[in-house]
Amino acid sequence: MKNRLKVLRAERDWSQQDLADRLEVSRQSVNAIETGKYDPSLPLAFRISDLFGLPIEAIFLKD
Amino acid sequence: MAMNLAQRRYVRRLIPMSAAYVAAILLASSVLPKGASASPATIAIALIPGLAVLGVIWSIGRFLTELSDEYLRMLEIRKALVATGLTLSLASTWGILELYTDVSRVPIFWVFPVWCFGLGVGALVNKLTLGDAGCA
Repeated sequence: MKNRLKVLRAERDWSQQDLADRLEVSRQSVNAIETGKYDPSLPLAFRISDLFGLPIEAIFLKD
Repeated sequence: MAMNLAQRRYVRRLIPMSAAYVAAILLASSVLPKGASASPATIAIALIPGLAVLGVIWSIGRFLTELSDEYLRMLEIRKALVATGLTLSLASTWGILELYTDVSRVPIFWVFPVWCFGLGVGALVNKLTLGDAGCA
């Protein structure tokens, strides 16, 4: 699944580690989600959504 | 990379279990003479490494339960699945050969070491397919 995580992170000038710390996950998780290697669970997707203040469908896009 | 709480707990559990496994094998190999008949004493000695294996698997189970990072948990589960698939596949293949051909018999003792080796293969599979080996 494609996502805008990298763009949203860059807009806030956050590193992958910064985002990982805010989501309480590992940097590897952030990298895997950003690169589309791993699709997050719905609870984690909601946490990402809450953090950026955007609806899930504005962050994760259909292929 | 700093270890998270689940990883630290895992290491704290795994080290004594692994040490007990190795110590139990050394004990069995030094105490049990080759070709000794099965008796309550020999069975009791053989049970020690068996219990240590249960301890190792329990440590892994607790680790998977306590690991809150879902991506890292998936990597660890993939490692265990690769290890299990590899071990059962090798055992079944060699088992058929042992049943029907004249290949030399491999002691069933090697199943657990092969499974542990399979964890390493699983980490390699993770690294090659996802870019991350795992976290343990």
